[in-house]
Amino acid sequence: MTARRIRNAAFWSACTLAFLCVAAPALSVLISVFHQALPALGWSLLLKRTNGIGIQNAILGTLVMLLGVLILAGGVGVAAGIYLAEFATGRHERLLRFFSEILAGMPAIVIGYIGYITMVVQFHWGFSLAAAVISLSILVLPYVVKTTEVALRQVPTFLREASAGLGLDSTTTVWRILIPPALPGIVSGLIVALAISTGELAPLLFTAGFSDQNPSLALVHHQVPYLTGVIFTDLALPGARAHATSAAAGAVTLILLIILIAVGRLVSRGARRATARMTI
Amino acid sequence: MIDTPAQVESRPTAPSVPAPEVPRQPRPERHPEEGTPDPVFRVKDLSFYYGPHQALRDVSIDIGAHEITAFIGPSGCGKTTFIRCLNRMNDLIPGARVEGEIDFEGRPLYGADIRAIDIRRRIGMVFQKPNPFPKSIYDNIALTPRRNGVKKSELDGLVEESLRRASLWDEVKDKLQQSAFSLSGGQQQRLCIARAIAVRPDVILMDEPCSALDPVATFRIEELMAELKGDYTIVIVTHNMQQAARVSDRTAFFTVDVSDQGRVGVLVEIGETSNIFTSPEDQRTEDYITGRFG
Repeated sequence: MTARRIRNAAFWSACTLAFLCVAAPALSVLISVFHQALPALGWSLLLKRTNGIGIQNAILGTLVMLLGVLILAGGVGVAAGIYLAEFATGRHERLLRFFSEILAGMPAIVIGYIGYITMVVQFHWGFSLAAAVISLSILVLPYVVKTTEVALRQVPTFLREASAGLGLDSTTTVWRILIPPALPGIVSGLIVALAISTGELAPLLFTAGFSDQNPSLALVHHQVPYLTGVIFTDLALPGARAHATSAAAGAVTLILLIILIAVGRLVSRGARRATARMTI
Repeated sequence: MIDTPAQVESRPTAPSVPAPEVPRQPRPERHPEEGTPDPVFRVKDLSFYYGPHQALRDVSIDIGAHEITAFIGPSGCGKTTFIRCLNRMNDLIPGARVEGEIDFEGRPLYGADIRAIDIRRRIGMVFQKPNPFPKSIYDNIALTPRRNGVKKSELDGLVEESLRRASLWDEVKDKLQQSAFSLSGGQQQRLCIARAIAVRPDVILMDEPCSALDPVATFRIEELMAELKGDYTIVIVTHNMQQAARVSDRTAFFTVDVSDQGRVGVLVEIGETSNIFTSPEDQRTEDYITGRFG
């Protein structure tokens, strides 16, 4: 009896410790970032640009890049995921999977550097929205491909058979029969991709540049400001004010991430409900 | 509870579906040896392979129009594989291979100029487990005709008619916009039959359509088959010999042939259902139907 109690207590302490190991760093980052950001927090953060004491331009720049990533990585990634899950066979499937896995393992800084020497230098685009969005999209593409493929593979085979049995063509089968139940899974994959893009710095250092102006939608020859850029540069500047701005940019990035994660949770809850309804 | 046949008697009118690309041929003449009037399918020496594994060997069979043909036999005898050859569902399986000939209404089913999706519009299929789409009852029926070019104004009528013919209309007419998954298993299976009918096929293949249903739902599907037989050729795979005896006009018995080369499905015999169950020609059929094996 006592031995069992001791084992029980040991197990629960191990669980608590594991929980603390996960929760404590996350909490400490949150607390310390918001604490350091405190002096800079205020409406001026949103109303002024980085040449004043705000980060309006960086927030807008990050949002514009997220939109670009959503369109580019979303479009290409979802298409590749559909292809892998429904159509690819044999050598094509193996090749695509192989390259997708290589991309997934590629360091962000390498992607940034390649983006720099090709797009920024070779193509003469300069530091630009296009170079930044393409680099970020390459970085998050494997996540989108994988989640799309997994979401489609979870759609029961009997629906494919039902559709084939009615003589429906493969376009109709994919868009009308398979995508709707897979949609929540695909969307939560896209949100993870956006969350990663929000927090990335390395690929943007080489491709986005920076600017005190609000971002234009011009694809090339215009540098783009972004949040992680502010965190990185202002921290290196002298003075408490710059440090507070850096922390404030960090805080805004975290808020953006939390919003994205919350949306992702909501969507995957919707996904679970949809699959629960599908069981016969 | 059970719908009167009056609701389902009328043959669907207004062929609003665009003509399928497979041209209809005059029906071939009577086939003396087989005794099948007016065969829809003529299968000659069909062998089927999953990769290197042979699943069926030298199946020759005629399937008559406006008849119910039942395939019975022990597990693994290839009856499901065979029925899936008839609408080219096996095309979807990588590495699957067909040898021999299947003529459908006088034309080779596996001919180079024939597209599988056109075939499947002419030859509908009902599966072992009810497999409605995760959509409303209405959309389950309407999706395929809409894709095939049926006009919006005609869809409501087509949905009602298909549901009536599947004797499901009275149970669902007030909840057409509800999810198909809100229906019971038996209702879902009748919905799948209605969905197949809505494409206006010539043939309906049923692969153990009642194996997931309770006896009452099974009875209703069997009744429905008898009603549909006037307009469609029906082929049914069943594990249930009583079902074959109750519903079918002709019965084919398949079995597993075990040899050094492995296990392969073969057709033992086909004949009038009453003959197969009372005086089969082959000893193996007799052993099976009297319960000595299988």
